[in-house]
Amino acid sequence: METIMNKSGKTQVIREKVNKVLGISLEDARLTKSYLSVAFLAILLGGLLGLLQGLNRAGLLELPVWLNYYQVLTAHGLLLVVVLSAFFTIGYFYAGLSHTLGGLLPKVRKMAWIGFWMKIFGFVLAVIPILMNEASVMYTFYPPMAASPIFYIGLVFIVLGVWMCAFGAFINVASWRKRNPGQHIPILSFFATGVFVLLFFGSLPVAIEVFTIIPWAFGWVETINVMVARTLFWAFGHTLVNIWYLTAVSAWYVIVPKIIGGRRWNDLLTRIVVIALVIMNITGGFHHQIIDPGISEPVKYMHVFMSLAIGFPSLMTAYAMFAVFERTARRKGGKGLVGWYKKLPWGDVRFLAPFIAMAAFIPAGAGGIVQSTNQLNQVVHNTMWIVGHFHLTLGMSVVMTFFGISYWLVPYVSKRVLTPQINKLGVIQTIIWTIGMVIMSGAMHWVGLLGSPRRTSYSTYFDNATALSWDPYLFFLAIGGTLLMIGVLIQVYAVFYLMFFAPKGNTEFPVAEVEEDAAPTPRWTERWGLWIVCMIVLVGMAYVIPLVDFIVNAPPGSPPYKTW
Amino acid sequence: MKQSGYGLILLLVMLLPPVANLLESIMITHMHMQMPILVIAGFLMAKFFQQHYLQFFAKWNENGVPGILLFTIIMAYWSLPRTMDEALTLTSVEAFKFVSLPFLAGVPLRDSWPKLSSFWKHALIIFFTILFLALGWLYMWSPVQLCNNYLVIEQITLGWGFISTAFAMVVYLVYSYFMDFSKYE
Repeated sequence: METIMNKSGKTQVIREKVNKVLGISLEDARLTKSYLSVAFLAILLGGLLGLLQGLNRAGLLELPVWLNYYQVLTAHGLLLVVVLSAFFTIGYFYAGLSHTLGGLLPKVRKMAWIGFWMKIFGFVLAVIPILMNEASVMYTFYPPMAASPIFYIGLVFIVLGVWMCAFGAFINVASWRKRNPGQHIPILSFFATGVFVLLFFGSLPVAIEVFTIIPWAFGWVETINVMVARTLFWAFGHTLVNIWYLTAVSAWYVIVPKIIGGRRWNDLLTRIVVIALVIMNITGGFHHQIIDPGISEPVKYMHVFMSLAIGFPSLMTAYAMFAVFERTARRKGGKGLVGWYKKLPWGDVRFLAPFIAMAAFIPAGAGGIVQSTNQLNQVVHNTMWIVGHFHLTLGMSVVMTFFGISYWLVPYVSKRVLTPQINKLGVIQTIIWTIGMVIMSGAMHWVGLLGSPRRTSYSTYFDNATALSWDPYLFFLAIGGTLLMIGVLIQVYAVFYLMFFAPKGNTEFPVAEVEEDAAPTPRWTERWGLWIVCMIVLVGMAYVIPLVDFIVNAPPGSPPYKTW
Repeated sequence: MKQSGYGLILLLVMLLPPVANLLESIMITHMHMQMPILVIAGFLMAKFFQQHYLQFFAKWNENGVPGILLFTIIMAYWSLPRTMDEALTLTSVEAFKFVSLPFLAGVPLRDSWPKLSSFWKHALIIFFTILFLALGWLYMWSPVQLCNNYLVIEQITLGWGFISTAFAMVVYLVYSYFMDFSKYE
């Protein structure tokens, strides 16, 4: 038995070496290519729907009755929030696992494929009722608005597909650790582990929510506890947001330093950021419910603290990133207090896109802190400000990082190279996207402060003067949206060109090394079980008081509503 | 030594009347926030006592069992509904809480934990898991108000707090039972 184990261990070591020299295996590459293709098709379609909404909100386009604003809004949210993010994250991290752990195990690859088809099947199920105008409940699919049960059944399959991929990743990481005793999980796989832990634990509450909604949507039970459902939804909704953010952060810590020719910042700090984000994330859901009735004031204050705590690792990230930039630029001869910035590779889209993404997180994060504060949240909660906020965080910080990743990941998995022309196109795309998003998100923030509501199609409210005063800002929203659509078209073209038509060649998977004089990372960072226990304790601290209150003091509950 | 100072500051902050009043006004924060923080304060301050009374700890807590026994007794005592009520009613009991939890639970916990074998460590976690499950059951299903100072709804909340903490400990126990760290290190 032992000899067999040794043999398979040796084969694995050989495979790891082969992987390093020859690049990703064809089978692993196919998996990532499929995930990325779906992700970028989703952005094409989702972007188009976003443009329709932008034009509608500016009063420039009246949508036909068979495709109303709320249908478009639901599909836009689902395509970009669920499909784009999940497929990109899984495609990217599976390529990372394959690269850093010496290829995916055959059974893990199979699990990822099963997960792929489950998600596609679930998505098709969810889209049918949306197209039939039976599920215009928006991405935030909590009661009392009820969609067709088929919509929720589709969501169940999406969640199951995600779990398949999460467990696949755990199996691959565990098997690598067994083969490499005493070693730390390679940093990119460490990020992947954190992300998949969050994907699993974050989607548990939404699974419970959906299972309570399905009988209600079928009419088997008459009412549902709205507060419980909303709370379960946001435990997931907020975590999902932070999963993409953590995915983007992984590229900032691991990939970007290599691209600019530098080394990684402190390995221990990086791992602590991952652990802290994993432990503290789920409880952040409550800051989406600051103006919900039914949660007592002290509990809301506790949650402000818990939400702001999540900002702390982000501040550590900001520090680490700029430290890496400065250090690398100075090594290349950069001088002056800020003059060193000239030495950074601004013409390289693989750096430019994630850099602007990072810079965008400064105002985006500040806006987030504003919203987590009780009184300020009450001013902006149901306005376009919030829409502006998540377009800045997700549409810019996260998605632009994803774009930056695509310029080396797609050639890497396709065994092709990034041509100077596509790099130039990428730089142009980055600039267009930046301008478009600044205009659109800026207009959204501003018009939100002036009171323009979100989740509402165009209306002048019987030519009310205040509502009419929003119009100029809403024009900017449409202009920004149009620029973004141009950006989407260029990006999708670049991705599929790099996947199928670019010249053949070898592209490196850019993983930066730690500094030469780096101190060894302590072993406790690898105790994932302990971090999960800490996370459960924190979730208990956050959720026990309000949930017991919602359930014990429950109102009669709500029947399903179809408001559209 | 710095951490002993932090522990003392933490204890002093917890002693401030507004802080104590706030935490004691809600049953679950009284038991699951104030009391553990007091233990943590003692845990941090333990460094000071360990350095100054080396002989004492070596003599009386050689293998860690006496210390952990003291810790367990103090913790079990403060899990009773009656003691919480008394802490709110009698100043002497309140004073005992602020002395016993840091110095008779936090300090011995720190001194004992590294001395204990893995058997005792797990036995302790198992004991507290069972205790928490039992208390959770008691607080959740008790038909009557157990504390004069707290409503039944707060009692149920505390019960769920116990159950969720017990759940976390079960996850930890399962994790350490099935994980063979020697395979990875």
